Amino acid sequence: MSRRPGLFVPVPRGQRIGLGIAFFVLFVTMWWLLTASGAVPPQFLASPPQTLAAAWELFAKFNFGHDVGMTIWRVVGGFLLAAAIAVPLGIAMGAWKPVEAFFEPFVSFARYLPASAFVPLLILWVGIGESQKLAVIFLGCFFQLTLMIAMIVSGTRRDLVEAAYTLGSTQGGIVRHVLLPGAAPEIAEALRQVLGLGWTYIIVAELIGASSGIGHMITDSQALMATENIISGIVVIGLVGLVTDLLFKHANRKLFAWSYL
Amino acid sequence: MSRLSIRGVGKTFAGVNGGTPTQALLPVSLEVEDNAFITILGLSGCGKSTLLRLVAGLEEPSIGEILLDGTAVAGPGADRGVVFQSYTLFPWLNVRQNICFGLRQKGMAAAQQREISEHFIAEIGLRGFEEHFPKQLSGGMQQRVAIARALANDPKILLLDEPFGALDNQTRVLMQELLLGIWERDRKTVLFVTHDIEEAIFMASRVVVFTRRPGRIKSEVPVDLPHPRHYTIKTAPEFVALKARLTEEIRAESLAAAAA
Repeated sequence: MSRRPGLFVPVPRGQRIGLGIAFFVLFVTMWWLLTASGAVPPQFLASPPQTLAAAWELFAKFNFGHDVGMTIWRVVGGFLLAAAIAVPLGIAMGAWKPVEAFFEPFVSFARYLPASAFVPLLILWVGIGESQKLAVIFLGCFFQLTLMIAMIVSGTRRDLVEAAYTLGSTQGGIVRHVLLPGAAPEIAEALRQVLGLGWTYIIVAELIGASSGIGHMITDSQALMATENIISGIVVIGLVGLVTDLLFKHANRKLFAWSYL
Repeated sequence: MSRLSIRGVGKTFAGVNGGTPTQALLPVSLEVEDNAFITILGLSGCGKSTLLRLVAGLEEPSIGEILLDGTAVAGPGADRGVVFQSYTLFPWLNVRQNICFGLRQKGMAAAQQREISEHFIAEIGLRGFEEHFPKQLSGGMQQRVAIARALANDPKILLLDEPFGALDNQTRVLMQELLLGIWERDRKTVLFVTHDIEEAIFMASRVVVFTRRPGRIKSEVPVDLPHPRHYTIKTAPEFVALKARLTEEIRAESLAAAAA
């Protein structure tokens, strides 16, 4: 007789992976049933085999790999640009309260500006080239990331800072040897979450004025009513997102093993 | 030679949100001679920890001055090592790296850091735990590393703020013996804050008794028990007499505090 699982009781690794896959299977089965039974006509929702076939064709005949590559590079590029400024700025805001007082209200305001609403303006300002795509991702990620990092660094344990002072640390030493290493795992976690956010903005950026990318393929397919292509595109985004997320998680666990003890 | 001189030092904390200020410590004066082991005994909230934080430079006195070897204390520094009641090891550093933290801040060569850390790891009995992270250690082990981390810096004075307060009684007694053993060998100047009477007597060359809040010094009681001290000394008549006397003094304070 097995006991009922209690709160927060961890699941063995094999079982966890099994459960995760089980829901994917369930989801695809439901989708399949919905389309195969004729409940939803195929022009609205392509069936799983149709989608798979469409994906195959996209990759084999229409060089979809290039589109996927372009999209990934735009997301990662815009995200890295945002991180390159947000990480030092967020750390400075968390560590020095006047810096926080100066930037925080504006960043909090800017965080609520929808990045997608800037697409028309950005086209006007920087054209429809790559810089427009990068700019959308940058806007979508930057403010969010800055605030998250500032909050993480603000939360540094004061007793650790005091201990460092009594061990002879200078202010700079404390930033480098206490704030940074202490906040690093949470900052990495924030980066992982915000990278996911980047993926939600890229398609909007590519829907308008793009000649390549997953979003561009989706717009093209919309004109042709090719729902199987649209769904293929969406699924590919999901898969790429899932893979980067897993890689990120794995890297964090390796890099910051101490915080997962 | 290091001599700590506390001259008329008091501390009043500003009220929160314009509330009434809190007087934590009435002006106190205390001379700590070189190599002395001073324990500060008092009730919770009597300002004894505040005095320690003032000496550490983590708080600024509202009045008076603190001199270490004739130099006024202005802010925290490596010449005054501190062991806190809460566990303050850096969780991302292992035992050895924690002990070397202050040495690294000084920019000491790695080989020398290693040599010093080896010495203190042996002294606190944690050979074999060098690569362990704080989360993998018990509370007592963590505080031992915290003591080693403070001592590795070779401070003029070691300040301890109820470092064994969160430990169980058995571990606590072993830690007292460990710390006393280190002091008997190295003869550092030590200022040790506690509310435990037995702990205060066992390690001290002098017990400084604090009144209830706002704290001031009620009495100074020299402890002339011979060294090295063994735990069995706690049943010696001299020890028992001291304990009885201090129990009375502290009891008077807690009664007065309860009546207030």
